[in-house]
Amino acid sequence: MNAPTLAAARRLVPSWPGWNRLPREARDTLFLLGVIAWTVLPHAEHLPAWAIVLTALVLVWRGRIALANAALPGRWVLIGVLVVAVALTLWSYHSLLGKEPGVALAVSLMALKTLELRARRDAFVVFFLGFFIILTHFLYSQSLGVAIAMLISVWGLLTAVVLAHMPVGQPSLKQAGGLAARTALLGAPVMALMFLLFPRIGPLWGVPQDGISKTGLSNTMKMGTMTQVARDEAIAMRIRFDGVAPTPPEMYFRGPVLTHFDGVEWTPTGLPYAAASLPSRPPTLKTNSPPLTYEATLEPQRLASLPLLEATTDVQGVDGYRIVAREDLQWLADRPVLDRLRLKGTATTRFVLGPSRRPGELQDALALPDGFNPRIVAWAQAFRDDPERRGANPARLVQAVLQHIRTQAFDYTLSPGDYGRNAIDEFWLDRKAGFCEHFASAFVVVMRAMGVPARIVTGYQGTDLLQVDGYYIVRQSSAHAWAEYWQPGVGWTRADPTGAVSPDRIGRSTRLAPQAGFVAGTLDAMSPQLLEQLRAGWEAINNRWNQRVLNYSRGQQLDVLKELGFVAPTWEDLALLLVGTLSGLALAGAIWAWLDRHRVDPWVRQLERMKRALRGLGIVAATHEAPRTLAARVRERLGASGEPLSAHLDRLEAQRYSRAATRRPDRDLTREFELAARRLRSAAPR
Amino acid sequence: MSEALSALNPAAFARARFRTWWQSRLPRSDTQLLTQSNIYILPTRAGWMFASTLLVLLLASINYQLNLGFVLTFLLAGSGAVSMHLTHGTLRGLTLHLRPVAPAFAGSPAVLDVVMSSPTSQRFGVGLRLLDAAAATLAWVNVPAGGQSNAHVSFVPAARGLHEVPTLSVETRFPLGLFRAWTVWRPVARLLVYPAIESQAPALPAARPVAAGAATSRRTEGGEIEGVRAYRRGDPLKLVAWKKAAQALETGAELVSRDTSTSARQELWLDWAACGSIAPEERLSRLAAWTLAADRADADYGLRLPGLEIEPGDGDGQRARCLEALALWR
Repeated sequence: MNAPTLAAARRLVPSWPGWNRLPREARDTLFLLGVIAWTVLPHAEHLPAWAIVLTALVLVWRGRIALANAALPGRWVLIGVLVVAVALTLWSYHSLLGKEPGVALAVSLMALKTLELRARRDAFVVFFLGFFIILTHFLYSQSLGVAIAMLISVWGLLTAVVLAHMPVGQPSLKQAGGLAARTALLGAPVMALMFLLFPRIGPLWGVPQDGISKTGLSNTMKMGTMTQVARDEAIAMRIRFDGVAPTPPEMYFRGPVLTHFDGVEWTPTGLPYAAASLPSRPPTLKTNSPPLTYEATLEPQRLASLPLLEATTDVQGVDGYRIVAREDLQWLADRPVLDRLRLKGTATTRFVLGPSRRPGELQDALALPDGFNPRIVAWAQAFRDDPERRGANPARLVQAVLQHIRTQAFDYTLSPGDYGRNAIDEFWLDRKAGFCEHFASAFVVVMRAMGVPARIVTGYQGTDLLQVDGYYIVRQSSAHAWAEYWQPGVGWTRADPTGAVSPDRIGRSTRLAPQAGFVAGTLDAMSPQLLEQLRAGWEAINNRWNQRVLNYSRGQQLDVLKELGFVAPTWEDLALLLVGTLSGLALAGAIWAWLDRHRVDPWVRQLERMKRALRGLGIVAATHEAPRTLAARVRERLGASGEPLSAHLDRLEAQRYSRAATRRPDRDLTREFELAARRLRSAAPR
Repeated sequence: MSEALSALNPAAFARARFRTWWQSRLPRSDTQLLTQSNIYILPTRAGWMFASTLLVLLLASINYQLNLGFVLTFLLAGSGAVSMHLTHGTLRGLTLHLRPVAPAFAGSPAVLDVVMSSPTSQRFGVGLRLLDAAAATLAWVNVPAGGQSNAHVSFVPAARGLHEVPTLSVETRFPLGLFRAWTVWRPVARLLVYPAIESQAPALPAARPVAAGAATSRRTEGGEIEGVRAYRRGDPLKLVAWKKAAQALETGAELVSRDTSTSARQELWLDWAACGSIAPEERLSRLAAWTLAADRADADYGLRLPGLEIEPGDGDGQRARCLEALALWR
């Protein structure tokens, strides 16, 4: 490298004098930039690449300016960058409204605002944008990890605010951080109180479900939907059984039932949520096993259909949502569920759904779209007309088709590749490789082509092994699609074609796992149990977090009120209690401050008491007299007999400048002094 | 212009009247203990901004049903509420004491030295300013626990005379800047303001010799006073009267040094009547300038004002006497 380039490089990268030797302003700015970077970082996952690059560039630029003590860029430069950010947002999202473009814009704005830190007002804009960005993280995840990361962010931002209000000298970050932490800790009781008592009400307008992509069940299914969900290790629900748990093959959690098929996509026939007009119409069930009760916590899926254990006959304890049982054995809420729900259910795992039915139900379950998958329809009709099976009942036909799947070289795989327009034809007759959605779709089409009413049921199958805290965990990766067919006189019967090709998938609690990442892979290779234990431990903590904090809803609030002795608490009681307690706290604060106005320095108070004791001995001390002067007067007046008194006064004098004097008075000193004074007084001749 | 307009605005007029009335009710004292009863506290603009941010956060938490959003909102609200008490507590218990104020000249800055002491805790970011001065003039100090700090503010008195020290204000926004706590303090001390010093004052009037002492002395043409005495060890070289040295060495006598003390034997009258025909205030300014010049020249000088005469003298006492007379003359 020649000399000019070296010099240019040096100009570009200012020298680093060391953290402690930085000028105060540069240090504070760099600290704030660090806090901002930490706050924005978790968004890197969701933001488009340009937003990350722009934010990083701007922050580095600002850091360079702070280090080199250079001038801030002019207004036009800022406006230029802002226009670029807005244009890129429009290009990425085709909108400036909504959550994701909003987050992208907010992050870019906050980074840009750091280039405009001129006055105190600018700094406050950065702080407030920071608090807002912290909130946006919770739209994506409210896990314990995110909470801890954001607590650090709040602390960092508060520290920066405190630093901005310590204009003298060079306060250390540790000192400012301590003061910020003290402020937040003192505020924590108010937080806890408001969190407990602030009435939880429903969304004030609209039901937000735009923008944020999610994995999990949905109301529709096409090729690829389930494969995507199955890659997600996130938790869908936790369930704990009272008594004996059902065996893994019995654990089917029933979500949306999809009957209508347009050749590409499966959709439900009725409304996907329990509108006010929709009556509860419980299914007719023939149960073949004793009922069992369970307690489940369902993660929010933004779906009105609750994936509950088949066949759940009763549900208790859902707050905030009206839920109804439908004749297709679904449990529907009145709107998409945005809360974590905790509920108690009663279920029977061996059952027959039927035999009564809704009019038109079977016609819907026989319809096949024209112009799609002609070969499989022809195949199915030929299969049915095979002399071997002529006149067979639906149950026998189902067995024959499952047998076909078992004997043909079907392949169960998470990555079957892309299928064309006649996906089911291609799957069933040519490539024979697919996931549960392929098997279920093909099975239902075959059944319908043979004249047997059939439909798709989506949900979850299987759980993780039993956790230390007694819960079974159902992950998104357990998402599953299976089929139901109709037998006259019996009703709907479950048929799981995936079980035919991969009995393991149903029989045990294992699923196809995507390739592990590098770290997880290494850990796994070193100690397979360790990773599993770590995950189990973390998830037990997370479960408690979910149950206590995230699941805290109006129901729990009212329970708290009941424990406090309210007979039939309403949310108005909550509001009153909250306002009352906060007013009480404020009043207590005011009273304390009022009482505090008479507070005197403990040392001065002590001196006053000693002076009072001296007055009893006939020594009247003036206000201005220091203990040393008084000691001299005592010695002069009382001589040797007054020595204990003057020694005490000297000690008091010495204590004035000791470290402890400002905190608490030396009570022993005062007591001994008063005792000595009383003794002297009684000894003195009257 | 804007002042004239605001004087016409009835609300501003009423506010100004109220302010004057309110301040006149405050007892004057050079030492003030800040307590509940003399600290005021209000949210700052940043505080209102913070409140609206909290409202937005609360609405977002409600609408997206984010329990963690509630936690964040309430944590910030709690910290904000606590910061109100901390801001108030930063001033509460603080003792303000105004050190004796040194006299100043009209038109040049007078410095007020305020000692703040905190018997209990450490205080950060306490600012002192004149009540009517801009916020940018705040002098910030930290007060250590059980210790004290000095803060200085200066202002430029317009006219001579004995003035009341302007009303002071001590404020803080520590720790979060959401609230501003302040106190209004009227010290009892008075400030003596000397007349402004005339910048291009003419030379001192001529001095008259008084009865000569042992040393010889003579008056030069320019009115300069010069005496000589025998050289003493340690006299700086420039004090040696070199013109006389040759003569003295020739006659075998000692070296002589210029005698600065003998110049005090001259008597200088700074007279109101000697100032020529200028306005009375300008005469006072000129006399003040002469007083300083005479003091610098270490001369004996006296001051004559209509109805007032100060006998010649020298030193800081004489200077102060004369300037005070000039400041208070009417």
